[in-house]
Amino acid sequence: MNNNSNKMFFLFILFFSTLISISSNSWFGCWIGLEINLLSFIPLISNSKNLLSVETSLKYFLTQSLASINFLFMILIKFSLLKNFNMNNIISIMMNSSLLMKMGSAPFHFWFPNIVEGLSWMNNFMLMTWQKISPMILLSYYFNKNFLIFMIIMNLIIGSLGGLNQTSLRKLLAFSSINNLGWMIFSIMISENLWLFYFLIYSMMISMMISLFFLMNMYFMNQLFINNMNFFIKLNLLINFLSLGGLPPFMGFMPKWIIINFLLINKFYFLIFIFMMTSLIIIYYYIRIIYSSFMFNYFKMKWVNLLMKNNMSLINLSSFISISSMILSTFIFM
Amino acid sequence: MCFNSFFFLFFFMLINFFFFVYFIMNGLSVFFEWEIISFNSMSIVMSILLDWMSLLFMMFVSLISSVVIFYSKSYMNSELNLNRFIILVLMFVFSMVLLIISPNLISILLGWDGLGLISYCLVIYYQNLKSYNAGMLTALSNRIGDVMILMIICWVMNYGSWNYIFYFDFMKNDYVMFIISFMIIIAAMTKSAQIPFSSWLPAAMAAPTPVSALVHSSTLVTAGVYLLIRFNYLLIDMFFFKVLLFLSILTMFMSGISANYEFDLKKIIALSTLSQLGLMMSILSLGFPDIAFFHLLTHAMFKALLFMCAGVIIHMMNDIQDIRYMGGLSLYIPLTSLCLNISNLSLCGIPFLSGFYSKDLILEMVSFNSFNLMVFILFYLSTGLTVFYTFRLIMYVMINDFNLMMIYNLYDEDYIMLNSMFVLLFMSLLSGSFLSWFIFSYPYMIYLPFNLKLMVIYVSILGSILGFMVSNMGIYSLNKLLLSYNLSSFLCLMWFMPNLSTYGLSYIYLNFSQILFKNIDMGWSEIYSGKGIFNILKNYSVFYNIYQMNNFKIYLFSFILWFMILFIFFFI
Repeated sequence: MNNNSNKMFFLFILFFSTLISISSNSWFGCWIGLEINLLSFIPLISNSKNLLSVETSLKYFLTQSLASINFLFMILIKFSLLKNFNMNNIISIMMNSSLLMKMGSAPFHFWFPNIVEGLSWMNNFMLMTWQKISPMILLSYYFNKNFLIFMIIMNLIIGSLGGLNQTSLRKLLAFSSINNLGWMIFSIMISENLWLFYFLIYSMMISMMISLFFLMNMYFMNQLFINNMNFFIKLNLLINFLSLGGLPPFMGFMPKWIIINFLLINKFYFLIFIFMMTSLIIIYYYIRIIYSSFMFNYFKMKWVNLLMKNNMSLINLSSFISISSMILSTFIFM
Repeated sequence: MCFNSFFFLFFFMLINFFFFVYFIMNGLSVFFEWEIISFNSMSIVMSILLDWMSLLFMMFVSLISSVVIFYSKSYMNSELNLNRFIILVLMFVFSMVLLIISPNLISILLGWDGLGLISYCLVIYYQNLKSYNAGMLTALSNRIGDVMILMIICWVMNYGSWNYIFYFDFMKNDYVMFIISFMIIIAAMTKSAQIPFSSWLPAAMAAPTPVSALVHSSTLVTAGVYLLIRFNYLLIDMFFFKVLLFLSILTMFMSGISANYEFDLKKIIALSTLSQLGLMMSILSLGFPDIAFFHLLTHAMFKALLFMCAGVIIHMMNDIQDIRYMGGLSLYIPLTSLCLNISNLSLCGIPFLSGFYSKDLILEMVSFNSFNLMVFILFYLSTGLTVFYTFRLIMYVMINDFNLMMIYNLYDEDYIMLNSMFVLLFMSLLSGSFLSWFIFSYPYMIYLPFNLKLMVIYVSILGSILGFMVSNMGIYSLNKLLLSYNLSSFLCLMWFMPNLSTYGLSYIYLNFSQILFKNIDMGWSEIYSGKGIFNILKNYSVFYNIYQMNNFKIYLFSFILWFMILFIFFFI
């Protein structure tokens, strides 16, 4: 199944499934959307010529279907058997757990780096951005506050600590995605508008990152130092990684700033501490990737030359967006 | 560049002279004021005060600086970046002028800081290690004075503006004025190198000689005296003036003694400057500001001339400054030795040269008004010591045998340097009488008994005999100073006070900071924040990886286990 038209068909169904899931007024409809999501994603990632991608799609199928079964079961218990429409009780915990597993959030995240390692960059992009929309929105309907705060802390810590020992770029982005999930889940608890804002900016940043790595066909950290990168590519890499880490003049700072503001006003001091410290660890391993690109004397090998191809012309635009979006992103609220 | 600035400053001097004569004859003073901003009850104004004192001082400063710039055209002619040097000197003159004409603490601060900074740049002009050390010592000692003036600016904000001259008569007994007077005295003491801060002046002789002639003889070091003259109405019967009297007399005495042990030509002249500064400060603190001003001006003349002669001699001696190598120069360089002798004799206070008018007036005022015995003794003793080291210098440089080389050429006909010295020679002969006719509209009434009147002459003759006897050096002489080595080094090294401001201050802190650096920066903080945290995080990450690299079935099963635990809790 290597045709583009097949992929487009399944992609279309993937988008539709998310829309079904988030716009249904019955829990059953949500579950249907989740199932169709799963079913349409599998053909996108499996490629029968490559054993690794078959194994990856099998793993994905197993975990997601387990989570969907649990989700359906909990919905039926909560709303049909017990007819209990409260948040913050144990059934909410069980519902949230299954949704967290679908998203790839801690403590049920162990499949996520494995699967990310087996996918190509474009499929990773779908997995990290689009697949998170419907579980998050469903999470926002009935969440258990105490449980979720605990999960957020686990997300942050695992996302930062797990990425320290990685050299594969995909696994690094996977762990940073887990970390950002922590921020996003917290923003759900603040306001859904804020979650939308964070999610849009996060997906924009991830898209810039992933498109850069895709064009350069880089999957591992040592590939960053082997080729002879153009100045603009290095600049783009630098800006995008720092933006992903949440450093101020760049785009990624804005949503984190709003969340920190909320935390400070409402006196979540311990939580702020954990948010900050884990962000620092994440920025450390981003900088470890890109430090050679912003030194004057950088390590390069001169016999491999990375030419600036035709499809790389959007790199300048993406750097510009990353720098200037702090201000431009305020227009989203107008 | 040299000629342009020389002409400009010379004409500036002439303008100042004419205005000075006009103002002092008619008793005028002009006050320009420009209010820059008035903000929250403080008004920042830029004011210029032109009265006879500031015009006279400006005239002398511009005369000396024009002559020095002309002199440095020949003295520094092997310098590649002479323009830079001249620009630094001009900026110095500009800061000094700003200091002189300002009745306002903010512009005094600008001039004061400018003086300190540019004198640092000029002292480190020859870029070797000694100049760097000397420049650091100069800059940091002057910095204390800058800090004091900054704090005065803060305290004067109590009064609403920074024009201090308006507040003296009204606010004399106020607590704020008490604090301000303390600080202004410390600021003047750092600039004029009185006792706790006197180590920078001999060290600053690492500067080029024209710089020493301009800066360290007449302008920079007299800025402190000038400031105290301006603040005189405030300080006149305060306690701090007594402290200043004590310290300045001791400065005068100590530097006179130390100059007798020195063998470096420029250091002797520096210590004599220090002694005369002590004299100026002490007569100021005794309550005679106009005599102090008079002595300031006459001293500026002959001291600048002395430095310039020393520069000519140093050039001649192949850049050697040690007086033991010199001798017999009066036979070979008549014009330079003429200037040297006249300035030296004027320094001693030989009758009717310019130094006589101011020094003799000071000594007679001290004898006439009843001060205590220590003041009296130290004044006369220091006068004697001045004559002592002056005659010693003349004996070593002019009269004894020539000690440098077998074949030598002493070139005296450099008329650029000589003409500039002649201008100052003319002024140092005549400025004493000329100033006394202008400044003192009526003479001071002095009535002394005969022996007391002759006391000056007794001390001078004694000093000259001692100077002659000490400098009799031949090839078989024994260095008798080494017999009393401890006492000699105590007296020579300025009573070990430079150790206070150099070694004493820096050693403790440098030692302590080394301990801190080794134990904390390279020690514990590496474990607790640098490498240690990195190791901890790395170990956590490695540990986490054990959980991550696991059997896939385990993940799925753990998910089911979680649900079973929750069910149990739900249904209990």
